[in-house]
Amino acid sequence: MDTALGYFLTSWLDPDLLVLVAVGTLAGIYIGAIPGLSVTMAVSILISFTYAWDTNEALALMVGIYMGGVYGGSRTAILLNIPGAPAAIATALDGYPLAQRGEAGRAIGVTTVVSFIGGLVGIAALGLAAPLVAEVSLMFAPRDYMLLGILGLLLVASLSGESLVKGVIAGAIGILVSMVGLDTMTAQPRLTFGSTALLSGVSYVAVMIGMFGIAEALVQLHTIGSPMVKQNVDRIVPSLATVVKHLPLALRCSAIGVWIGALPGAGGDIAALMAYDHAKKSIEKPSRPFGQGAYEGLVAPEAANNAAVGGAFIPMLTLGIPGDAVTAVIIAALFVHGLRPGPNLMVDTPHLFWFTVGNLTLANIFMLVFGLTGIRLFAKIVEVPKAILLPIVGVLSVVGAYAINNNLADVWWAVGFGILGYVLRVYGYQLGPVVLGVILGPIVEANFRRTMIGVHESWAGFALELVSHPITLVLLLGIVSSVLRGTPFWPRLAAKLRRSAGRAAG
Amino acid sequence: MRLNRRHLLVGAATLGTLSFARGGFAQEFPARPLQGTIQWGAGGSTDAVTRAVAPIVEEKLGQKLVLTNRPGGTGVIGMQYVHGQRPDGYNILFGAENPQLYGVLGLSELSYKDFYPLVLLARGTPVLVARKDAPWNDAKSLIDHVLAHPDQVKMGATGVGGLPFVVHAMLSAQVPGFKVTQVPFDGDGPALTALEGGHVDFMSAVFGAARERIRAGRIKALAAISTEPIEGLEAPPITETLPGFAKYLPWGPFFGAFVKKETPAPVIAKLERAFVEAANDPRFKEFCANFGVVPMGIGGPEAIAFLERWQSVTAWLLADAGAAKVDPASLGIKRL
Repeated sequence: MDTALGYFLTSWLDPDLLVLVAVGTLAGIYIGAIPGLSVTMAVSILISFTYAWDTNEALALMVGIYMGGVYGGSRTAILLNIPGAPAAIATALDGYPLAQRGEAGRAIGVTTVVSFIGGLVGIAALGLAAPLVAEVSLMFAPRDYMLLGILGLLLVASLSGESLVKGVIAGAIGILVSMVGLDTMTAQPRLTFGSTALLSGVSYVAVMIGMFGIAEALVQLHTIGSPMVKQNVDRIVPSLATVVKHLPLALRCSAIGVWIGALPGAGGDIAALMAYDHAKKSIEKPSRPFGQGAYEGLVAPEAANNAAVGGAFIPMLTLGIPGDAVTAVIIAALFVHGLRPGPNLMVDTPHLFWFTVGNLTLANIFMLVFGLTGIRLFAKIVEVPKAILLPIVGVLSVVGAYAINNNLADVWWAVGFGILGYVLRVYGYQLGPVVLGVILGPIVEANFRRTMIGVHESWAGFALELVSHPITLVLLLGIVSSVLRGTPFWPRLAAKLRRSAGRAAG
Repeated sequence: MRLNRRHLLVGAATLGTLSFARGGFAQEFPARPLQGTIQWGAGGSTDAVTRAVAPIVEEKLGQKLVLTNRPGGTGVIGMQYVHGQRPDGYNILFGAENPQLYGVLGLSELSYKDFYPLVLLARGTPVLVARKDAPWNDAKSLIDHVLAHPDQVKMGATGVGGLPFVVHAMLSAQVPGFKVTQVPFDGDGPALTALEGGHVDFMSAVFGAARERIRAGRIKALAAISTEPIEGLEAPPITETLPGFAKYLPWGPFFGAFVKKETPAPVIAKLERAFVEAANDPRFKEFCANFGVVPMGIGGPEAIAFLERWQSVTAWLLADAGAAKVDPASLGIKRL
């Protein structure tokens, strides 16, 4: 245990490493905040830059960037309604309405604190239960990823706004968009109309930037002359009472984040959306209705996406299996540094595990410190006159779209989806379901096809698959109950269940 | 180290900006930083191999090599990008084996014929692996089982033209009646994860990706798809069981650096020397050993011969398996 503690504290006691974690975290917050600049890309560039460095130094910097980046995505989501990263999509749903009410400072404060809590839960899970969680995450078969995706698609109901039909249409548009491109299973181009630019499909980050950033700027043009909302920056650090009030929700959502993060086929973006849905279903009296500036809608995704960081490290450090795109790049970095990531990593290089846990903890603390400083200044961004702010949003969106793959086609996509998003918004459609469809469509489709191939295209075999494992059953029950809750029978059914439960008890 | 950190910021700032002044003569080449385009995304093998060799190339050339990932369409996007640039030697394509199949899969008219190989950096050796509780311990028992239970065994794959697909085509060509159910995943990582979780029964994967899991006993190796034993792997070469495999081998994914064919000869000569030297540098060789790939370090005519042979073997295997959309003969690909 002493040695574990020693490895854990390596970066805490070494000034060089301490500075690197701090620099990484600060850089990560800004990389995360700019849409299109992704943590994956930043860490990848660092592989070459840190080539001659010591492994520990490179890792300290990368871990800092990762932790800071996941949190940073919330900044622009709250202030400008442009999620800096897909993991912050759910954050924009209630975060931006809060900024419009003049509570941007408080919103960022709450976000920072719950991100910190989520981060801690993720780290604790990594430190205490990594081998167990990793083994369970391997049990997820294609059918389970399919069910998880369907469970996610049901979120359309939460994100539809006033009309479910319009939400479903928006979700369908998203799924349709996700189908464009070369089908990786058969090498068959779909919906590409012979164009090479369409071969790689439509980047969902480009859709996200268009739908949130550009569409938002266009919608704002309607009210360009109206005075800006005065931001209240008196109380930005949330009071202890506020934190305690949201703590149970934050902890539940952190647990969701850890699990989804630990799954090799799902990351922080899905975790955050699932957590948002969980909040919407479990909180009966939110501080305001969801979608209009409920703090619960901010707490849930932000706790979950930072918890997913620790979660993603679980399969990576124990089995050498990346939990998400960033950990995949970190695995490549370890190879370049002469290590052999895999199931024996902890045997060959025992220090690495607790060293990483220590760095994550440190990065989490720096995130809290950097996150809470400078909020006053950031909140003022929303007070900038629209005539100045909106062109900046436009430029940021274009730069961000180009930066995804350094491909001009993505800029056109972002602009195109910006205009489509604007039209949809004007006609009362919500844009969340579109992005949801783009992200989850391929997960459901590919895993459905995998499952069907596995049972030789037999529906009976498929039905059998769905009840073949406890994990599958739990997910299936989740879907069934989620659908039932949406039907008119649910209140009656619930009452009946309660009565019979009461009788049984009495 | 402080310098490095400043470089990092500069690198981030110049990311994506390509507007350096045009010009420069061959004798002073390279006069400005080079732009490297990686055909695949961050975290993949092509990305890792490229980023491992790049710092050494920079040393040899005395210029920066700014790397950009342009993934998409199995690499078509990145290849087209470099092909659309001036053939002045400042734009270098870092790619894998896929372009040699664009023709037969109908994805693009481009192939490495349109480029000059500065160096082939390394190649991977496929290994046949099975889930740890599978009833087979060698290639022969797997083949016998599959012949006795056609279509019942699930094979992890990565789609048409991917490594498991091609190795399967070799197996079917050598063993009549070898029928399995191919379940395609989004790459060898996810497929190996599914194998480890027992969701598929066997597959082939490049040694570097499977090695650590084999070493830890989480999956088991049945055979190496090679004529010689591979260092660090107990499983025997496949040719011991199926001697007919020899005509395909050596076969496996490879990584290289390319410039447009029209690039001036003096520029090519300078680049080729630097890249071949870098690929033969002990530091890169050490990376290869660790990454589980075989260093190649060949450029020019030797590389071209390797590329042509690889294309011929693979394109005709796909054609014989009925997976080619365009007849290799019509593309001028000769059958070996």
